[in-house]
Amino acid sequence: MTFWRQVYEIARKDLLVESRTAEVALMTAPFGAAALIMIPLAIGTDAPLLTDLGPGLYWIVVLLFGILVILRKSAVDGGPQRDLVRLLGIDPAARFTGATIATSLLVLLFEVALGPVLVALYNPDLRGWPWLFLILPLVAIGMGLLGTIASGVTTSLGTRTSLTPLLVVPLALPLLLGATQAFEGLQLGGSIVPWLVLLFAVDLALAVSGILASGPLEEAVT
Amino acid sequence: MTMIRRFWLEAAAVLIVAGSLFRSFTVEADVVQGDVQRIMYVHVPSAWLAFLAFVVTMIGSVAWLRTRNRRWDRLAASSAEIGVVFTGLAILAGMIWARPVWGQFWTWEPRLVTTALLFFVYLGYLALRRAVVDPVQRAQRAAIMGIVAAVQIPIVYYSVNWWRSLHQASSRNSIDTPLRITLLLGVLAFTFVYAVLLRRRLELAHLEEELEARRFEASPDVAGAGITAPSLAKANKHD
Repeated sequence: MTFWRQVYEIARKDLLVESRTAEVALMTAPFGAAALIMIPLAIGTDAPLLTDLGPGLYWIVVLLFGILVILRKSAVDGGPQRDLVRLLGIDPAARFTGATIATSLLVLLFEVALGPVLVALYNPDLRGWPWLFLILPLVAIGMGLLGTIASGVTTSLGTRTSLTPLLVVPLALPLLLGATQAFEGLQLGGSIVPWLVLLFAVDLALAVSGILASGPLEEAVT
Repeated sequence: MTMIRRFWLEAAAVLIVAGSLFRSFTVEADVVQGDVQRIMYVHVPSAWLAFLAFVVTMIGSVAWLRTRNRRWDRLAASSAEIGVVFTGLAILAGMIWARPVWGQFWTWEPRLVTTALLFFVYLGYLALRRAVVDPVQRAQRAAIMGIVAAVQIPIVYYSVNWWRSLHQASSRNSIDTPLRITLLLGVLAFTFVYAVLLRRRLELAHLEEELEARRFEASPDVAGAGITAPSLAKANKHD
C-alpha cells in the first residue's frame, strides 16, 4: 500500500467513525452556535459593537470549541486499534497525516457551520470575503496539526481532557492572530499577505515537526 | 582543589551578580523614566534567560529523540522549569515597570500577551511531564512537546516588530553606553545564575530518578512472585 493510500485510509476511517456519531455536526457545532448567541447577552446587544466584535468572537469560539473537535471520540484510538494499525504496517507519518487531514476537515466543517450564525447574529463587514476560502482552511489545518500532535502526546493519559486544551490553546496563538488580523485587514482594505504568510509558516512548521515526531509519537504510546 | 572545582561556577555567579547589582543601583538614572527604568536591569535579563532556557529545552528534546540518552531529557526538563520561573519574573518585573510608565499593570500589548502565553505553553509542558508515570514515555512525549513549543519563541521575540505596539522594539543601538553596559552585565549575571541553577537542578533530577527507580524496585510484587516489575534502572543505562 502506497503512503498516500495509507493516508487516505486513515483519514477515511476517522471520518467514517465521525459520520456514525456526528459528534462535530450535531453536538460541537450547535454548542459553538449557542456560545455565539449567549456572548452578546454578557457584553451588550449594541448592534455596532457586535458588528465590530463579531469576527473576533467567532475566532475565539472556533479556537476554544475547536478543542472539542480535537478531543472527539473518533480521534481517539484504543490500545487494540493502535496495535492493529501498527501490525498492518501503517507508516507513522501516514497515520499522522491521515489523522490531521480528518481533524482539519472537521474543524473546517465547524468553521463553516458557525459562519452563517456569525453573519446572522453579528452582521459583520464581509468585505473581501473570498479570502476566507484561504483563511478558513489555513486555520483549520493549523488546528488539525496542533490537535493531532497534542492528542498524540496525551493519548491514554488520565488527564487527557484537561491537558490537551492547555497544550493546544496557547500554541494556537499565531493561528488566532493570523486569522483575526487578516479579517481586520480585509475590513480596512489593507494587505493581508503577511498574515497569510504567518498562517502558512506556522502550518508548515507544525507539519514538519509533526511528521518528524510521528515515529517517536508512535513509540511513546506503545 | 575539589571545592574550587565544584563551586567555581557559583563563586563566579555571586561575583557577577554582585557587580551587576552594584552597577544597576549606581549607574545614572534614565533621563525620561528616572529610577523606575532600573527595573529593566531585571526585566530584560529575565526575558533573555527565558528564551535561552526554552531554546536549551528544544535542544535537549531533539538530542533525546536522537540519542535516547536520559541526560538530554533531564536537561530539557530542568531548563524548562528554570525558563518558566524566569518568564514569570520577566512578566512581573514588566508589570511593575508598566504601572508608573504606562499607567497600568497590564495592557493588551503583543509582547505581553505572547509572553504570558509562552508561560502557559511551558506550564503545559511541565504538566505533561507530571502526567506520565513511565520515565521513557515521559521523556518521549515531553521531547515532542519541547520541540513543538519552540515555535512560540520567535513569535514572542518578533511580536513587537510584527504588531505596532506600546512595547519598546529592539533598542540595542539607541541606548546610552553606560546603560547598555549595565544591561549587558545584567544579562551576563543572569546567564551565570541560569548555569548554576541548571547544574543544581540536573543533579537533583538525577537523584530523583535514582530514588524513583529504587522505590519502584523496592515495591512489593503486584501480581505475585511470578511476575516481576521491570527495572527502571535499565532506562537509566545510558547515564
